[in-house]
Amino acid sequence: MNRRDYLLRKLGFSLVTVLVVVIINFILFRVLPGDPVRAVIGRNVRISPEIQQALRVQFGLDKPVFPDQFIDTLGQWLQGNLGVSWSQRQPVKDILFSKLGNTLLLIGLGQILSIILGVALGLLAGWKRKTAIDVGALTFSLVAWATPTFWLGIILLAAGSAWLGLPTGGIVSPANVSKPLYTVIPDLARHLILPTLTLTILYLGEYMLIMRSSILEVLSEDYILTAKAKGMSHWQVLMRHALKNAMLPIVTLIALNLGFTVSGAIYIETVFSYDGLGNLFQDALTKQDYPLLQGAFLLLAISVILANMFADILYTYLDPRVKAN
Amino acid sequence: MKFKLFSLIAIAVFVLSACGSPSTSTTGTVIPTTPATQSAPALTSRGPAVLHIGWTEEPDTLNPAYAFLTSSYTTFDLIYNPLTTEAPDGKYVGGLAKDWSVAADNLTWTIHLKDGIKWHNGEAFKASQIVWDINAIIEHPDWWSTLSNYTNGFKTVTAPDDTTVQIVTEYPIANMDYRLSFLYAVYPPDFQNFKSAEELQNFNNFSPIGTGPFKVNVYEKDKNILTLDVNKDYFGGVPKVDQIIFQKFDNADAMVQALKVGDIDVIASVPATAFETVKGFDNVKTTSNDSSYFNELIINSVDPKNNPAPKRNPALEDPQVRLALETAINRKDIVDIALQGLGSPGDSIIPPVMGGGFWRSPNIKDVQFDIAAANKILDDAGYVKGSDGVRTKDKLRLEFRLQYPTSNPVYPRIADMLAGWYQQIGVKANVEAISSDSLTAAMTPTGDYDLVIWGWGPDPDPDFILSVLTTDQFVSGGWSDSGYHNPEYDSLYLQQQQAIDKTQRQQIVWKMQEMVYNDRPYIVLYYEKLLQAYRSDKFTGFVVSKLGIEAAASLTQVEPVK
Repeated sequence: MNRRDYLLRKLGFSLVTVLVVVIINFILFRVLPGDPVRAVIGRNVRISPEIQQALRVQFGLDKPVFPDQFIDTLGQWLQGNLGVSWSQRQPVKDILFSKLGNTLLLIGLGQILSIILGVALGLLAGWKRKTAIDVGALTFSLVAWATPTFWLGIILLAAGSAWLGLPTGGIVSPANVSKPLYTVIPDLARHLILPTLTLTILYLGEYMLIMRSSILEVLSEDYILTAKAKGMSHWQVLMRHALKNAMLPIVTLIALNLGFTVSGAIYIETVFSYDGLGNLFQDALTKQDYPLLQGAFLLLAISVILANMFADILYTYLDPRVKAN
Repeated sequence: MKFKLFSLIAIAVFVLSACGSPSTSTTGTVIPTTPATQSAPALTSRGPAVLHIGWTEEPDTLNPAYAFLTSSYTTFDLIYNPLTTEAPDGKYVGGLAKDWSVAADNLTWTIHLKDGIKWHNGEAFKASQIVWDINAIIEHPDWWSTLSNYTNGFKTVTAPDDTTVQIVTEYPIANMDYRLSFLYAVYPPDFQNFKSAEELQNFNNFSPIGTGPFKVNVYEKDKNILTLDVNKDYFGGVPKVDQIIFQKFDNADAMVQALKVGDIDVIASVPATAFETVKGFDNVKTTSNDSSYFNELIINSVDPKNNPAPKRNPALEDPQVRLALETAINRKDIVDIALQGLGSPGDSIIPPVMGGGFWRSPNIKDVQFDIAAANKILDDAGYVKGSDGVRTKDKLRLEFRLQYPTSNPVYPRIADMLAGWYQQIGVKANVEAISSDSLTAAMTPTGDYDLVIWGWGPDPDPDFILSVLTTDQFVSGGWSDSGYHNPEYDSLYLQQQQAIDKTQRQQIVWKMQEMVYNDRPYIVLYYEKLLQAYRSDKFTGFVVSKLGIEAAASLTQVEPVK
């Protein structure tokens, strides 16, 4: 099978997966107990049963779930319309996009840093196996990986704000909120330091551990011995022969992590009051805001599927065996 | 591959360099933060006074037609003026209104407006404009979901001249002061062009024009910031702070830290667990004030003849069992242990702070905690302890479900305490945590529960909390969770709605709360406290009351420390 067929098949599978996700999404939220109108209006307001009924009609909740609500929802989606959030009264698409940028910025930065540092550290530890460097890096990574997100975030926040004068939350200072982000980069960077650092430390350990074990495996292969025998330098062996082969598991891990990136690091976003998708998901769930929840889960599903497709494509370049099969 | 790695590194280097550079952000307004090394360019001897307030909930919208959160109403009171407004002492004073009175027919209300009122855009405010606002609600109650209750029973609203509003009602309305306090003057051109409920409610009103002491500068929902500027033409006296910035925190601990380092000046609600810590901060003052929020033990009181029939332990229909259940509760322990002292023992559904104490019956005498007395009540009523320690009488067995919603962190502790006391009187309580939604679905209108711990945030007027216990409210979408049904109570409820004479209404309200107290659909456990804090080194003049130090009544008085 050539690469084109392979990719087309992958694309087909992905589309089917999206469809299944859409259907499950629809059913899942509607089997939850409770009344979305009550969830939106909370418990301490005076909305008469008549007005609640008017809202129900407006939201389309007076019709049977199946087939009316389902066909309505699906029809809207096919036209690219994700609906209007019940709790925020803004188009779901606008809400998602406004938060998507924020989340991608934070998680993207954290991922890139943790990948670079984790891979480098893993390589180093693997190469210097059974030395003090290896033991040190391994211990650090295990501790980092095992640290609870929330705890690390709060500790860094307290320390960073008290000793370094870093901000305690938000994306930019209040005075800068109405300006485009690229005009306030220094302020933005100050706000990103602590959450990015938290994220980097948390993910770094995972990358390092995988990289270390992967490189150890590769280094025991015969072709490494051959390369050494040919008189190549350590650096050449590592870069030309070992790294590329050891990267395969890392690519899988990166793809998986990137997919879930869009769901946002809920804990980190909460600790640093960082208004991203993670926060949004949580809020939409407590308010039973179906249109927003469905939109958010669709986005999440698509990004996971895209990330997996991306990994598959990358594999065809990294590993000739995938192409052959 | 090499290229990819290179570009990754390049991005990382860029990021690191951005992080490393010290903040050089310069802005139009000087924000007081921790003393930084850079000296702000000397504007004058001191910059504009900017008050930073931290809160954990931002307005859901600035459109009064569809606003549910308290934070939205806090904002409305700063940017809009209602006709009347609740003062810190619980009485009503004029907002836009100079005075208001009802004619001898008890139906025709004449409201005179204050002079010199202007919209934020400089236009003069006219009585005909708020008349348009009120008529819009009357015409389309379902469009103005969150305000429609306040105009129930209004027949005609007119403006005889530019400073007078006349409201004629279908029946006498006893709580007109309170109703008028939610009728805001919104700028009619902003709201005139909507064709449906959906269109109106989807309008977020991000740049509202009002008449209030502050006007919206920036409302960036995505960035959790609401910035208000002082209205220099405010008819009620210009506030002494130039700008107020509300910043939303998703994490209360981070908010506390922000107050400590001086990023914010006020915390609108300090978590109870952090209150002692905050007390110890330098230059920070804490305030603790009784609020009207109460938490109660709900006893299933659904009519046995109801359709569907309630699913509960029928022993709960016995008044003696209810009395024993209350006598075995140690409210003082609940306050001291579960709330760490930050609350007060409860009894009536009318909290002491409502209306400055005017509505609270003096005849309610708390049942004293006494395990022996509770045991005796059950003994006398014929309930006998079995070999397993649980009392029974004929087919009745005193074993109940004790449920609570997972939304409140204090409830699990309280449920355990209750179960412990009940064990001592031969009552078995099976504690169960359950999501708010599932619990609501089980309670109304199904009546499938025994005992539930939950709470209410009553309005400033007694009407709403009294309505919660009327028979009519036990329907789908209604507010009654206890299923209390008492025809006398229901008729008193209608009477108090129309009792224009305040003393007469007071007597009815007293009687109603006594009925609830004695019949025990609710056993009120405790009243919550409103815990707040502010930086006393930067601002002074906060008005501490149940309204909160972030209420309009307080923020119009606050001034920077000289």
